[in-house]
This record gives sequence, structure tokens and C-alpha cells, in this order.
Amino acid sequence: MPDLSIPQHILDQIVSHARELAPFECCGLLAGVNKTVTHLYRITNIVAVEGAEKLSTFDDDKVAHLERLSPEERAEIAFVMDMQDFSAAKKDIRKNGLDLQVVYHSHPKDPARPSHTDIKIATDYEEIWQRINLPIPAYLLVSLMHSPAADIRTYWITGGAVRPADVHIV
Amino acid sequence: MIKVRIPTPLRPLTKGQGEVESAAANIVDMIGSLDATYPGLKNRLCDEKGDLRRFVNIYVNEEDIRFLNGKDTSLKDGDEVSIVPAIAGG
Repeated sequence: MPDLSIPQHILDQIVSHARELAPFECCGLLAGVNKTVTHLYRITNIVAVEGAEKLSTFDDDKVAHLERLSPEERAEIAFVMDMQDFSAAKKDIRKNGLDLQVVYHSHPKDPARPSHTDIKIATDYEEIWQRINLPIPAYLLVSLMHSPAADIRTYWITGGAVRPADVHIV
Repeated sequence: MIKVRIPTPLRPLTKGQGEVESAAANIVDMIGSLDATYPGLKNRLCDEKGDLRRFVNIYVNEEDIRFLNGKDTSLKDGDEVSIVPAIAGG
């Protein structure tokens, strides 16, 4: 029994999203029922909207919620979800009787594995999911570093540890 | 009293506390009174116009205040407020 089943057309949509936003990262959510993904929700990446020049001067307020990160880790931040989009998606997920299953983002120039910063933030977030009545999702990464080929991998991140998720493509 | 849950990244401002209490009647007053006790907190949550920043959500009993009455969402004894930072990564 795989951890998750994801239809090929959903994976194709993730790759399209990643290509549209490159060289910025894209991000979004996948939801479904019975461990099978049925819906994709694109979420605005605030970093991509505000432009590349902001990346190096990401001001204190914008990363204030990430205060625990070192300056080097902050510099690595390439996506920040727009929480208005997130809440709208969460509401739709609930309305349709779905479960949140996956948080996805792209690595345009890096491998499809969680960065140090990805792991740290996902670990901080572990306690938040249950507080907002959502299960801890898997994390899917799509790498475009060997474009035109796209490499997609999915992981569980718990307690600061990363392990591959068993994903069945349907 | 109202329980306010503070996410890990903001705990340096609340002297390490993951949960604080408030007697405020709505979200605006809650942010104001917390900022008086823990200076800097308001700036983390609101922009210069006083609107909630796009990378922060505030939930009252699991409902986003954006779908309630925004900053004017009223609070009552026993409510639980969660401050939730944006999902982010590198």
C-alpha cells in the first residue's frame, strides 16, 4: 500500500507551474481522499511576485516569522506562501470533503530534495498543522536542474528527519 | 481569558512562551495589548496600515479571521487564537 497515489496529470500540472515561474520557485498544495490526490491548488509565492531584487534584501519584517533562522538560512528562502491563498485553498479543501496531502515547491536549479531551510521550517510547522486541523502533509519537490527533464520526489519531514514517501503514480 | 498560541519563530518576542493569555474583546485589541507586553509583536503581524501581513494568518478556533470579521473579529472567554506563519522554504 503506497503512502500516496498521485495522477500523472497532477504531476504534469506541477511541472508546468514550475516552468512558468522559473527562475523563481513555485509552490502549492495537493489534496484528495483515501491517500489519492485529486486536486491541485496553486499558491502565490510572495518572493516571486515581489521580484528577484528583493531576494537579497529580504527585509526583516518579511522574514520576521522566520527569526530563528541564521542570516545564511534566511538568504536561502526562495518561497513564502501567500497565506490568503492558503486559507482560500484550505476552505475549498474542507468544503469538498478532501484532506490536505502534499505541500509542493520547485527547485529550478537544485536537486529535488529538501534544503536545510526546507527541513527547518517544515519541522517548525509540525505543531501548527494539528492546531489548524490539518494532517501533517508530505513534501513534494520538483527539480528543473536537468531541464527539459523534471525530477519529482516526495518526502516526509518529521522531527527534523527526512525520509522518502512511497508514491504511486496513477 | 483567551489563549493565544505563539509559533516557534515569534517566541523570542514572548520570552520563549508558546502560549500567552489575553482579555481583549477583539483581534485588534488583542494585538495592541500583546504588543504592549511584548514590544515588536504588532510589527511582525501587521503592516504600516495595520492590516494583517500576507505571510501571517490568525485563526480563532481554527477559522481564519479573514473569513470571520478580519481584525474586528470578536473574541470571547475560552476562545483559542493561533498565530500561524507562512509555509516557506528554500
